[in-house]
Amino acid sequence: MTTPVMPEAKLPTLRDMLARAHLRLILFAVALATASLVLSGVMVIRSYAQRNLELVARSVAYTVEPAVVFEDRDAIRDGVISVAAGRGIDRVEVHDPKGQLLVQWSNRQSGALASLSHPVNGIVWPNPATSMVQRGGEVIAEVRIYGDSEGILRYTLAGVIIALTCLALTVMATRILARRLQREVVRPLEHVADVAHAVRRDRAFERRVPSAGIAEIDRLGRDFNALLAELQGWHAGLASENAELARRANHDSLTGLGNRQLFDKHLGETIARSQRSGGAFALLYLDVDQFKAINDNHGHDSGDTALIAVAERLRSAIRQVDQAYRLGGDEFAVMLAPVFDQAHIDAVVTRIRLAMEQAYRLPNGLAVTSMLSVGVAIYPEHAESADELVKKADSAMYEDKQSRQGQRDGGALSNA
Amino acid sequence: MGTMRGFLPLALIFSTGAVPSLTGMAGMPLGNAAPGESAYAGAVARTVKAIIDYTRWPERHDPLVLCVAGPAQHAAQLGSIRLADGRRIERRNVAASAAAIGGCQVLYVGQVPLATQRQLNAAVRGKGVLTIAEADPGNASEAVVALTYQPRSLSFRLNIDAISRSGLRIDPRVLRISQGGA
Repeated sequence: MTTPVMPEAKLPTLRDMLARAHLRLILFAVALATASLVLSGVMVIRSYAQRNLELVARSVAYTVEPAVVFEDRDAIRDGVISVAAGRGIDRVEVHDPKGQLLVQWSNRQSGALASLSHPVNGIVWPNPATSMVQRGGEVIAEVRIYGDSEGILRYTLAGVIIALTCLALTVMATRILARRLQREVVRPLEHVADVAHAVRRDRAFERRVPSAGIAEIDRLGRDFNALLAELQGWHAGLASENAELARRANHDSLTGLGNRQLFDKHLGETIARSQRSGGAFALLYLDVDQFKAINDNHGHDSGDTALIAVAERLRSAIRQVDQAYRLGGDEFAVMLAPVFDQAHIDAVVTRIRLAMEQAYRLPNGLAVTSMLSVGVAIYPEHAESADELVKKADSAMYEDKQSRQGQRDGGALSNA
Repeated sequence: MGTMRGFLPLALIFSTGAVPSLTGMAGMPLGNAAPGESAYAGAVARTVKAIIDYTRWPERHDPLVLCVAGPAQHAAQLGSIRLADGRRIERRNVAASAAAIGGCQVLYVGQVPLATQRQLNAAVRGKGVLTIAEADPGNASEAVVALTYQPRSLSFRLNIDAISRSGLRIDPRVLRISQGGA
């Protein structure tokens, strides 16, 4: 049988597929969670920071108001620093009503994050928080506060780091999960595959798939088992039919004894076996005396009955290792294998003759006995080929028939 | 700031003991002086106006009477002050004697001897008069405000002790300026 070679190396395993599906799902979930958390976090932080900037602007405006009135720039700067120094503020400017810069103060911070935050400031805070410095209902200055994005950057960075850590953890968890899933899903499937393989290769129709513990695979297993049971039934039926056919080809349907084909086959085999082992065996040819008379006087039914009776007696008279055959008509053969001496053969012949003396009843109620003429040929004493052996046994039987007919004709009828 | 809020009773902040003296550091830049006037006249007027703006009297005065006691060098523009809340300033030139300074809410003490300055300040103590010393940078006379002169700017010094005894309240943010914003 030729098996198609499957390109197994190229096919993805279930475990790979599970792991990939898990990974995609988790990547999507973590990315979504991170993005929404960071985004909403940034928006919340920004709105608080915006409020803080406005508050600081108002505080600065209140604090520097007298300094503006006194036109004391150093005092304005001091006031700005006293209020605005701290995180979240990049730059504070105080302008006079004409827009001229009175004081500018920058919150210069060092560090990688600070240098990174500088270009981001303009994006996060495109417009400064402003507050008017008023005195007696008159605007005397304007405070502009530009926000610093370092806090937001710090939050975003922390969010990304946490997200990456989560990703790493979940990727590991995915692998473990996929392995477990694989164990739970693939093992039952492998059971099915194993059984299928065993059935195909070893004709092990008695194998069954164990319960899987997963509904779908269990159903598959049950159907598979049912299919196996049917296959087993078919297989057994086919086997017995085959055996029956083989038996019919080699056996006589009337008596159940081996037919001529089987006899020829066995004879050849026995000769070959005896040649190899140097052993001996005996071939008996047997013929029912006056079978034609039964057939003619009592009909074919009676002839069949006679043949069945002879076959039964023949079978009961020989050993189990010996084989009896019906060669056709009223001719029978027996193979005695192995035989040790002439006495053994004589004993068998005597047992056959004794068995034949039992009467049997014809369909018309008449009790009769049928005697046999027996001819013996011994391998290798009388012949070494099958044809010669058969010929010798046949002629011996003929001689036996002649001599026994002579006895009967010579007034030995009382024996019958 | 339309209204003045956040005044503190200064006596509560500054308890007795050493008298701290607060000096404006950078101060007010001098403007362009009119011909025949002192270079400081404009800055003095603006500084005095600002201090008056941030000072609260026990009761409201309109107009506010500003007396210039004795001869003054930089007081030329004091009469033209208009306050932020719209009140007017009424300038009076008075003699440098305790008898002559009744009815003043602001006493600008000009170029008079230190002893006389002391007498004047002592005479108005506790009566709600803002005293400003033009010619006593060290504030030995214990005026509420002493003007100090830098080459390009004008500063002032507040005497906490004098404020607490004067019966006036001054916006603490002004104290910060006179402290130098520390």
